Formats: sequence, C-alpha cells, structure tokens
Amino acid sequence: MEAFWIRSARIWGVLALTALAVWLGMVVFYAPVEKVQGVVQKIFYAHVPNSLPAYLGFGLTALGGLLFLITRRESYDRLAQAGAEVGVVFCTLIVVTGPIWAKPVWGHWWVWDLRLTATLVLWFIYLAYLFLRAFAYGSDATKTFASVYGIAGIIAVPFVKFAVELAKGQTMHPDDPAKAGLPAEMQFTLMAGFIAYLLVFAYFLSRRLEIAKLEADLQERLDP
Amino acid sequence: MTGARVAAAILRKDLLLDLRLGDRLGQMWVFAALVIVLMSITLPAVNDETRAWVPALLWTIALLASLLGLARSLQTERDDGAIQQLVQVPCDRGWVFLGKVAANWLALFALLLWIALLSALFLDVAWTRAGFEMIGLALLGSLGLAALGTLLATLASSSRFAQFLLPVLLFPLMLPILVWASLLTRDLLGGQISAAPLWGVLALYDWIFLLIGYFTFNAILED
Repeated sequence: MEAFWIRSARIWGVLALTALAVWLGMVVFYAPVEKVQGVVQKIFYAHVPNSLPAYLGFGLTALGGLLFLITRRESYDRLAQAGAEVGVVFCTLIVVTGPIWAKPVWGHWWVWDLRLTATLVLWFIYLAYLFLRAFAYGSDATKTFASVYGIAGIIAVPFVKFAVELAKGQTMHPDDPAKAGLPAEMQFTLMAGFIAYLLVFAYFLSRRLEIAKLEADLQERLDP
Repeated sequence: MTGARVAAAILRKDLLLDLRLGDRLGQMWVFAALVIVLMSITLPAVNDETRAWVPALLWTIALLASLLGLARSLQTERDDGAIQQLVQVPCDRGWVFLGKVAANWLALFALLLWIALLSALFLDVAWTRAGFEMIGLALLGSLGLAALGTLLATLASSSRFAQFLLPVLLFPLMLPILVWASLLTRDLLGGQISAAPLWGVLALYDWIFLLIGYFTFNAILED
C-alpha cells in the first residue's frame, strides 16, 4: 500500500495541478458573484473543500495508529504521521480562511460558534499529536504513544462537537452546501474544489510517505 | 497475583506516598487556593448575572490545579527506576493503569472538595442547594480527569518538554468533561433538574478513556 502511494506521487501531482488550474478558472470566470455578500463569497470555494482532506488525514492517523499497535509494522506508523501532518495543513486552511470570510460578512473575525469551536478543538488535538512526536526522544515509545493519542483524538471528536452544541446552542455557520440549494454554477465550482483539494491531499500524502520511508531507510543504514 | 490485587497494591502505595509526603496534594491545594483568592479579589462581586460563570470557573481551576498532581503520577516510579518492576507485574498491565487512575481519582476528588470549600467561603457558592447529586457529579468529573490525565501524563512523560506537553495534550480532550460538568453544576446550583442524557454521556466519556487506557497501557509500559 505504501509502495503504491510512493510510486504514484508524480501522477497525483500532475492531476492535482491540473485540477487546481481548472478549479481556479471556475472560481474566477465561471462562478457568479453572489448578490448579497459580493466577491467575498468566493472565499467559500477555497474554505469548504478543506474539510474533507482534513477529516481524511485525521482518520488515517487513527487507522494507522490502531494498525501499528496491532501489527507493529513501521509503515502504519508512517501513514499515521503523514495523515496527521497533511490533515493539520488542511485544518489550518479551514481555520485561516473562515475568519477572512467571517469579518466582512459577520463583522467579527471569530465567534464562539458550534462549528468554529469544534473545528478549532480538532485542530488543537492534532497539533498536540504533532508536538508529541516532535518533542519526544525519538524512540519506539514515541510511535506507540503517538498511536494511542491519535486514536484517543478521533474518538473524542464527536464528543467535542456534541459538547459544544450543548453549550452554545445554535450555530451561525452556513448550512451544509449540499442542503443550501446553491445555483448550479456554484455547486459545480464547489465540486471542482473538492476534487482538486482531494488530489492535492493525495499528492501531499504520497510525498510525505516517500520522505518518511527515505528517513527510515537512512536510519536503518546508519544504525543497522 | 490477580489484576485487581495489583491495582489495589498500586492504589495503596500511591495513597501512602501521598499521605506521608503530602507534596503532590499540597501543591494542588495551595495552587487552587491561590487562584480562588486571586479571583475573589480581582473579579467583581458575584451577583445573579455573573453567578452562571462560577461553575465553569471552578472546573477550570480544578483542571489547572490537577496538572500539578497528574504530571507527577508516574514520576516517583521513573525517579526510583521502579518502572521496570511495573513492567514485570504478573498480570495484564492495564491493571497498573487502573491502579494509577484510582489513586489519581481519589486525589482529584479531594481537590474538588477543597475547591468547593474555598468557593463557599470566598465566592458565596451555596453547595447545599445542589444536594447529593453534586457529589455524584464530582465523582464522575474527577474520574474522567483521572483517566485522561493518567494516560496523557504517561504519554507526555516521554518528552523533553513534559510540562508543556501535558496541558497541550490534555486540554482539547478534556473539553467535553469541562463543558458538561460546568453545565450540570450550574443546573444543580440553580435547583434545576438537569438533563439525564448529560449524565449518561459524561459517564460514557469516562468509560471510553478508561478502556483506551486499559487496552493500550500494555504497549505503553512495554516501550
């Protein structure tokens, strides 16, 4: 599985670049300017598609961690680490692009709303995962500990969402785009964004796995 | 030696250490007292409007104070090189985790009682209105904090920056317990009947992290 990802990195890269170019063209020339929010609404196309790669990355972290604890195969630990790193990149983009849209539309950079708070906590959980890996002594224990935290993190996510929902009540965040009844041009542009971002995710993941594999091979040669 | 006996032996050993040395409990209690006194001086007097904030404030103080005790959960064993003996226990090592959680649970429950006393003195919190349900809530809240804290303190202890890492790991995962415990405390102090699902979900969250700790502690201690 790891070998497949590493071998296919270039293909993912070419596909991702092409899809990004198409998506960007659609955002600028094809998607209409929204009547109420104006051009600011176009941030939506760069914001919403980040969610799927972020969740996918964190899912892979938990899955890789669980499989590592069961089988002790290093490749699963590398998958978990790569998933977290790439997931955090996309989650950071959610946290950054959201306020850029929110300021002109809501009048505030940040509100302690259900969706925003749950996403922020999710970002903190996997940032903590990366800290755990970065600041540990680099032993085998780090892999085990990080696996445990990766699993604990994904289990906590639905509870965090539920807890925030109970505490904050209603959400100001716009509804799921699929349910929002968008015009066809907007829906197609958004769909193109999802495809492009998923391809970028696949490219980043394959490159990160390649680097991790090279590091592991080098370590084995230095310390056989 | 059965697992339950191992857990009981670890609980007994940790309780004796806590009672004889007193430093772990002492640090948590002094820290909590200082923060409550500082809050009492710097914040405006508690009135009907601001009273709703007090439960969240108290649970947050408990969380911050607990860091001092949790960080030292496995420290004695590490300092004395006793980790090797723990690894060799003749049973599933998950029982070591349960023994440690039980010791931390009692220490954190005592901390909550201490915070309740101080808040009654300095912030006029009328705990008698909350009734015996409040004791149940304190037990559930401290159990969750003990389970998560013991697990994460063990993970953080492998790091060069353990003191920084423990809160970074703990706070995001503690958020549900903090939110539910604060909501339930507010309801109980207000004399309201709190929602039953909240109690259930709090107990479920505690249970999940007890299970995660129990099943992964084998691998954690091995490494």
